[in-house]
Amino acid sequence: MTDSKQQLSVKDRARSLVGNQTSLLILVMIVLAGVFTAFSNGTFLSTGVFSTILTDWGALILLAVGQTLVVISGGIDLSVGSTVSLSTVVSGFVLVKMMHLDSTVTGSAAWGPLAIAAVVAVLTGLLVGAINAVLINVLKIVPFIATLSTFGAAAGFAIIISGGMPLQGPTDYSLINPIRIPGIDVRTFDTGLLSPMVILMMIVITIVGLYLHKARFGLYTYAIGSNAFAARAAGINVTRHTAKIYLVSGALSGLAGFYAYVRLGGGSPSSGAGMELYAIAATVIGGASLMGGIGRMWGTAFGTLILFTVQSGLLMTGVSPDWKQIVVAILIAAAVAVQTLQKKNGAR
Amino acid sequence: MKRSLRTIAAIGVAAALVAGASGCSTAEKQISIAFVMGAESDPFFQAMKVGAEAEAKAEGVKLIWQGDASHYDVATEVPIVDNVIAQKPDGLVLIPTDPNGLQASSDKAVAAGIAVANVDTHVADLSKVVTFITGDNGDGGSKAAKAIADKIGYKAGGHYQVVVGLTSATATTNVARLEGFKAAIASDYPGMEIMDVAYSASNPQTAASNVNNWLTKYPNLSGIFAIDGTNASGAAAALQAKNLTGKIALVGYDAYPANVDLIKQGVFTALIAQDPAAEARLAIKTLVDYIKNKKSPATRDVVIPNVTLDAMTSAADLVKYTYVATK
Repeated sequence: MTDSKQQLSVKDRARSLVGNQTSLLILVMIVLAGVFTAFSNGTFLSTGVFSTILTDWGALILLAVGQTLVVISGGIDLSVGSTVSLSTVVSGFVLVKMMHLDSTVTGSAAWGPLAIAAVVAVLTGLLVGAINAVLINVLKIVPFIATLSTFGAAAGFAIIISGGMPLQGPTDYSLINPIRIPGIDVRTFDTGLLSPMVILMMIVITIVGLYLHKARFGLYTYAIGSNAFAARAAGINVTRHTAKIYLVSGALSGLAGFYAYVRLGGGSPSSGAGMELYAIAATVIGGASLMGGIGRMWGTAFGTLILFTVQSGLLMTGVSPDWKQIVVAILIAAAVAVQTLQKKNGAR
Repeated sequence: MKRSLRTIAAIGVAAALVAGASGCSTAEKQISIAFVMGAESDPFFQAMKVGAEAEAKAEGVKLIWQGDASHYDVATEVPIVDNVIAQKPDGLVLIPTDPNGLQASSDKAVAAGIAVANVDTHVADLSKVVTFITGDNGDGGSKAAKAIADKIGYKAGGHYQVVVGLTSATATTNVARLEGFKAAIASDYPGMEIMDVAYSASNPQTAASNVNNWLTKYPNLSGIFAIDGTNASGAAAALQAKNLTGKIALVGYDAYPANVDLIKQGVFTALIAQDPAAEARLAIKTLVDYIKNKKSPATRDVVIPNVTLDAMTSAADLVKYTYVATK
């Protein structure tokens, strides 16, 4: 008679951990947090730091989520950072130059203009997304090149429209400030973790995540990324769906431009500088494959969180900020290695 | 008949000579000055353009404004300078992105008979250059130290924590300003300690994030030196979000209109303003003087001082030194 109670070996346990991307990411985050806390005399472990990490997370997450959709479908979108810059500048332009409002409009009086800023930003993002879609679908330019050109054009227009300088307009800083939670013992300057804008970002990515993982939209995205040919044969309108994906990525980048506007109190032409690379890094660390067909929203959410844990952690421990690039590179390499391991073990 | 023909011919020739002579004097060639700068998108250079255009108009010279749209580097500048030299301007105001990289182009221009001036940065060998006009980044850094010290009520024997937000570790303007800041602290304000420096890579959101982290790490922070416009914008936003305006001395650089407004609101203790328009005006004026009268300026190297804009600055001066973008 065989003993049905089998002892799980350490190797098996490790294998199952590697197989579960999300728990692996959580583990990495806990380890990083532990290391940073130890080397910063405990100052890392504070609501001040955590709320900063979450504010930074909020700034990038929409780009990372949009990028996840694009990458799962087998493409890439290099224009997202410039789209942030362009949409934040266009919002600023509309409020400051067209509506003649300025930074003296604050508090709840700014909510009306801010709503307009949000709409304008998203529309600008949609425009960039539409241009990407046309370049890719109609002119048949590969996504890398197509989005590389919109990356340059959008950044250029952001500078032309703004004159290279920020357009400060109406804003309500309480929207970006973490909400006070009474009774919690906190460090000197802040008292909360989540600001209204960060909560808004969480709601948006939950909606996108539901579309990706529960709706037909997501199914088609994975299908196209796995095998576009087969997807088309199965009756999926690949052209139309690809267009939708780039439009969504553009719109999300536009909304991130609105986030930048609120955070900085105006439209700054370089507020999206460099963000496309971090969006891709977050997506890859989160477990998506640049080959297409693989990726999860939770993964991206944690990947983004890890990036900013590293950024804040390095500053709090006094390590030279140049190490940030190196740490990010190691994380990306590790993520890709894990993916290869998962494929070998058939865990995916 | 013959006499009248001869008379008509004589009058015709005389008329032609007169017309020719007057035509020559009114058809004098307009002086053209080419201006090749670093990166068009930089507000510093945009403000310079305003000054250049104003001076060109005042002097009645033609201004050829050239430069890469957004890249401040040798690879993009050299072909532009070569192109400009081929247009044979009378004068060239050059902002070399690299002292050695642009030396050859500068010498080529001089050899072609073009009067060359350098602004902001200079080529390695200035012997053939008519004039070199610049702001002083080290001076800007030390003015920033003074502005912070004044705001926090610096007293000898006290200990004050300050931090510096930069864009990059290697950009020469950043380095020079930081060095000036450090030197002023070492000599005049030894009680001020630079606790940390951080980089934002031109992204004001990163600058804001750095400030947030510092506020947690250094609860007794007295002052922040934001070394350029994007750092200044990010730092200002971070302080405003936390309602810390006026409680921490914030000194920024570059007089962006948006940031100048924040001086009045007490967000910025001071802004160090360069005067790019003045640099451009003086360069063109000196070159035109040289071209017309063959007169070299008394001193070749001119430093246009920075101006500290703060709550005490007059409204007129604020307007004068605020960077203006061209339409």
